[in-house]
Parts: sequence; C-alpha cells; structure tokens
Amino acid sequence: MKKVLFALIAFSIAFSISSCKKDDPAETGPGAIDIEFDNIAVVNGIQRQLSLVTPGSTDYTYQNGMGQDFNINLLRYYISGIKLEGPNGELFEDHVHVDVSGTEGIYLVDESDLSTGVINLENVPAGQYNKITFTVGVDEDGVQEGAAGGVLDPATCHMFWNWNSGYIAVKFEGQSPVSNGGTSGGETVDGTSPNGIVYHVGGWRDMPGTAFVKNNKTLTFDFDTNARVQKGLQPRVHMVFDVLSLFKGQNMIDFTGNHNVHKPTDGQPVAENIPAAFAFDHVHQ
Amino acid sequence: MFNREEPSRLLPNFRFMRVLILSAAVGILLVACQRDDISTGKDTYALNRPDYFPEIAYPVATNPITRAGFELGKKLFNDPRLSLDNSIACSNCHVKAVAFTDPQHNPSVGIFEQSGSRNAPMIANMAFQSEFLWNGGVSHLDFVPVFAIENEKEMGETLADVIRKLNRTDDYPPLFKKAFPKIDTITSPYMLKALSQYMLLLVSDNSKYDQSVRGELQLTAEEAAGLDIFNRKCANCHSGALFTNHDFLNNGLDSVFEDEGRALISETDDDLGKFKVPSLRNVTLTAPYMHDGRFKTLQQVLDHYRSGVKDAPTLAPELKKDGQLGIALTDDEVEKLILFLETLTDYDFVSNPVF
Ligand code: HEC
Ligand code: HEC
Repeated sequence: MKKVLFALIAFSIAFSISSCKKDDPAETGPGAIDIEFDNIAVVNGIQRQLSLVTPGSTDYTYQNGMGQDFNINLLRYYISGIKLEGPNGELFEDHVHVDVSGTEGIYLVDESDLSTGVINLENVPAGQYNKITFTVGVDEDGVQEGAAGGVLDPATCHMFWNWNSGYIAVKFEGQSPVSNGGTSGGETVDGTSPNGIVYHVGGWRDMPGTAFVKNNKTLTFDFDTNARVQKGLQPRVHMVFDVLSLFKGQNMIDFTGNHNVHKPTDGQPVAENIPAAFAFDHVHQ
Repeated sequence: MFNREEPSRLLPNFRFMRVLILSAAVGILLVACQRDDISTGKDTYALNRPDYFPEIAYPVATNPITRAGFELGKKLFNDPRLSLDNSIACSNCHVKAVAFTDPQHNPSVGIFEQSGSRNAPMIANMAFQSEFLWNGGVSHLDFVPVFAIENEKEMGETLADVIRKLNRTDDYPPLFKKAFPKIDTITSPYMLKALSQYMLLLVSDNSKYDQSVRGELQLTAEEAAGLDIFNRKCANCHSGALFTNHDFLNNGLDSVFEDEGRALISETDDDLGKFKVPSLRNVTLTAPYMHDGRFKTLQQVLDHYRSGVKDAPTLAPELKKDGQLGIALTDDEVEKLILFLETLTDYDFVSNPVF
C-alpha cells in the first residue's frame, strides 16, 4: 500500500515537473473565470441564504440595525467595470461596451433569477489573480451613450429613472411592520401596501451643493488565495453581499421615516452602507 | 473606458488597409448618391452644423443617421399609438407649423385632457444641446421620449407596452428592419434612436437673421437697431447662435414658486424658480411663452422685463442692477426689439416637407 502511494506521489511530482517545463499553450493561453455574487443575510454572524417572500407577506425574517423587522420582495443591482489584478502584474479589464444592440461588461444581478449572480468572464490572460475591482451601478459613460439594449434597455430593465435620467444602482423592495406605507413607484409594493419599504438607490453624477450625488460605488477586494487562470481552468471567485448591511453600518436606516426612496439624496445614506455590505468570501479553484 | 479595442486590433495589416480604402471609396460614392438636395449641395439626411453654431453635443457616431431611420422616427413622432389611449402623438404637443411647440393649450394638455404644468418647448437644434426639459432633468436626447411616454400627464403609457404594441403592428416591424437591419424584434433603444434621428435633423438655421450672418442679405436699419439693443440687454442670457447660454436662471416671473423648476431635481434653494434659458429662434411662432405659458404675446414678455420683474433671492443679478428691478426699455426700444425677434423666424424650417 505504502509503495503504491509512494509511486503515485513520485509519478505526480515527475508529471508536474515535466508539465512545468514544457511551453504548453494550455498554460499560457487565456482562460475563463466566474465571479459569483451571492446575496446573503448575515444573522448573528452566520451567513444565511437570502430568502425572498411574495409581496404582501407578513413573515418577517430579518431585522435592520435598529431591531426593526422586515422582509424582502425584490433585490436587483448593477455590477459594471470589473477589473482583476494579480501579484505579477496580471491585469484584466472586462470590456465595457454599451450600444443600442446590447450591453457588454455591465451585469444586472437579480435575486429572483440566481443565474444572473454568476458572471462569466472569458479571454482572461493566464496568470494568478488576487484582487478584484468593480462598480455597483452604471457610471456616466454608460448613461451618456444614450438608449442602450440588453440589461440597460429602459423598457425592460426596470432600473431607469425617466425624470432624472440615469440608472438605479440598487433596487430593494419589501415590507416592515413599522413602516406606515404610502410608498410610490414600486414594482412589488404600492401606495396601498400598508407596510411597504422601497429603496431605489442611484445617482451617477456629483454636483457639489446640489442633489446630484453619485451613489455608485467602486469597490476593491483582495483574495486570500490566488485564482489561477489558464486555458482549461475555470476558477470561481465567490463574493457575498449581505443585504442586511444595507440598513446598518455607517448609517442606521429607520423604516419609520425614510422608507420611500427614489432620489439620489434620499438614497445616499443607504449607498454609503454599500461598501461594507459586499465582501470577498473565497476562491474556488 | 468604453469602446476599448484590443491593441492588436488597432494594427491593421496592409491587405486590411486596402479593403478599408476601397470600402471608404464605395462609401463616398454611396453617400454622394444619397444627396437629394442638389440645389444646396447638402445631404438631406446628414446632420449639418452651420459654422457659427455650437459644437454638436449628441454622440452621432453612436446613432448614425440614415434616411430610413429618420423616416421611422418621423412616423413614430406623429403616431398616437405611442400613448395609452391611442389619442395623442408627440406631434400633438410639438406642432411643426409653430416650430414644434404647442400653440393651443396653456399649459400643454396630455391624455384624458389632464393638464400638465409645463408649456411644450420648441424642438429645433436639439443636436447642439445636452440638457433637456425646463429643469434639465434629462441629459441625453434619447431619453426625453421615455419621460414623455411614461409621464402620466403627457402620454401615460409604459415604454414596455409601447414596444409590445409596435411589435404587433403590420407596419412597424419591416420599417425597423429597414432602418436597423440587424434587429429581429423591436426593442426600446431602437425606437428611441429612431426618434432621436428625426429630432436631430430638425435644424433651424435659415431665418432672416441667419441669412444676414452668412452675408446673404442685410437686416433693415430698424432690425439692426433691435439687434443692437438685444445684444446690450438680453444677450448675456440669450447668447450665441442659439440665443441661450444653456444656463438655468430665474428671470423674475414669481417671488413664490408654484413650480420650483431646477430646484425640483437639484434640491437646493439656490435653484428655486430657475428654468432653462430658452432659445429664441422662431420666437414669433412659439407662443405662449415661458415654462408655464403665461404670456401670449412678445409685447407681454417685454412688458414683463420692463416692469413685471419680481424680486426673489434667486433672481438673476442682471435683472436687479443697482437695486432697480427689470430691464429699462423705452417703447421705441421694445418696438425695435420685436422687429429684431421677428428676423429669427425660419419659415423654411416650419414648411420643410421633409420634416
Ligand atoms: C402632452 C403634450 C406632450 C406630448 C404628447 C409630448 N410632449 Fe414633449 N414636451 C412637452 C412638455 C410640456 C415639455 C417640457 C416638459 C418639462 O420641461 O418638464 C416637453 C419637452 C420635450 C423635449 C425637450 C425639449 C427641450 O428643449 O428641453 C423634447 C425633445 C420632447 N418633448 C420630445 C417629445 C417626443 C419625442 C414626444 C413623443 C414621444 C413628446 N415630446 C410628446 C409636452 C409634450
Ligand atoms: C437673466 C437672464 C435673462 C435675461 C437678461 C433675459 N432673459 Fe429672457 N428668459 C430667461 C429665462 C430664464 C427664461 C425662461 C423663464 C421661464 O420660463 O421660467 C426666458 C424667457 C424668455 C422668453 C420666452 C421664450 C419662450 O419660448 O417661452 C422670451 C421671448 C425672452 N426671454 C426674451 C428676452 C428678451 C427680449 C430679453 C431682453 C430684453 C431677455 N429675454 C432677457 C432669461 C433671461
């Protein structure tokens, strides 16, 4: 038994040495990598899968930082401008292209369709990657392209503000028993819902002293292990988004007050909580 | 950041260059064939900027204008099926004969005869502007129709339903295919691009004033005197070839603001009662005047500037010089100013059958 094991180890070492020496195109050729955005709820320090409820449900699973109960009907957000970097100067910038026929490099993650949470990046140069940068929201260049297709199609994305043109970065809707309702412009709750909470957080330009505030956030995270990319491999970087952290952290969000958010200024306190709500979790090689 | 090309793709080989040159030559030939307007040598379906106009603000490269796209946009603009009850088209509130403004309603009336609070502005020379609506809430021409269609006081429809309706018609799918050969079904960005193509070509640059700028004729002595008064008293706001400095200002209509204007979107008290400085081209045709259409004649407008200006913390300082409210104007100056403003009417624009 021991001999077999030894032989196996020797064989695999020899094999890996020989494969390192060869200038194998399989190793230098570009590969693919998946970035997974997993929406979760951290309760008592434990990560739990997020659960959406049907609109109107009075099952309250979650609490905000002020101890107010709530539930979630809808969660959707844009991720754009993904950049990966590595310890040896590796650099991959996801090609962003916005036009009438479609949109590349901007992704709409929708909790009601878990497949949207996995972003597959192709043609990534071979190498080690240990750092990711991305923007939550759609920045100026994406807006100033004008009408665009795919995930930015204003007729179907449900993320476009027509009165102050631009895209919502994060859209959240749900219910809280402490809210006195009267919300507007929601997809899943309306003015007749007694306890609606509606947070449409967006804003792509900054004009100091005015309500034009940029609520899109560009975030960078280091990995604890390298993700190795090469032809034939498809590592997955697992990012988590703790939805409960939207409502606590830098700013406590009170569902009895500011619970019907549709403007950049009103959304600013929630937007400021976004950076701490995202985290790197692990690399799955 | 956008439209980045891989470096290798930027290094064409020579064969590729030859193909490029050849296709450019074919392209020129094709463009030459498209010229319809032989008398002026201008291509009817190209966006031409008069050299004294501001730079083109619309990113035309992202939406190349073609005859098929323009004509599709024109059909959409005139089609009431874009509204909830199929009763009202863009052209109901933006009437060509009066430079695409709304002559009848004060203020503009949308579906179900609901009264909107604002007066429909002129649609002309949109290609040279980058902020739209009286408060500048929309920063790209493509997105203005989304506002119009989804605003319950204007057309009360959702964009998704309009697209559904268009896909179900017999006439639109082939027209979209002709304008945008790549598409299979109609989607909203294509509709918006077609509407923009139409609006972009609505360039008004052939008024008597333009002809005088180009040296084709001379203004009369009285018109020229009016221009001189205008330059001294009005042109710090109504400046340049479009007669607007593109700023948002309070020209003294109110001290208490029923419509907060720019402040509705900037949410700062500094912007209370400020509205976009409108272009004055075709101004003799575009009554009623101001964001709420409160004045019916130019005489009333000038009487406002002379004696009706109301004070407010946001009032433009030009209108309160040395503590005096308003702009001093004699009757004779008012008469000459109106004669000058009449030279801004572009009769070719409002009677052009292409539009
Ligand atoms: C019910 C009347 C009405 C209809 C119908 C209507 N509009 Fe308008 N339009 C207006 C009013 C009023 C404004 C100014 C709104 C504001 O500033 O808040 C406006 C503004 C505009 C502007 C901005 C002009 C500028 O200088 O800022 C454009 C462009 C425009 N409309 C295009 C359209 C198109 C395209 C359609 C059809 C899809 C349309 N409109 C339908 C009344 C209307
Ligand atoms: C301080 C800047 C300023 C000055 C100076 C000024 N205007 Fe205006 N003008 C405006 C603004 C702002 C509006 C739009 C106000 C609104 O609708 O609330 C306007 C509107 C108008 C309109 C209405 C146009 C339309 O389509 O509704 C006319 C006509 C006009 N001005 C003519 C003049 C003339 C003539 C003078 C000189 C005697 C003048 N203005 C001086 C800022 C100015």
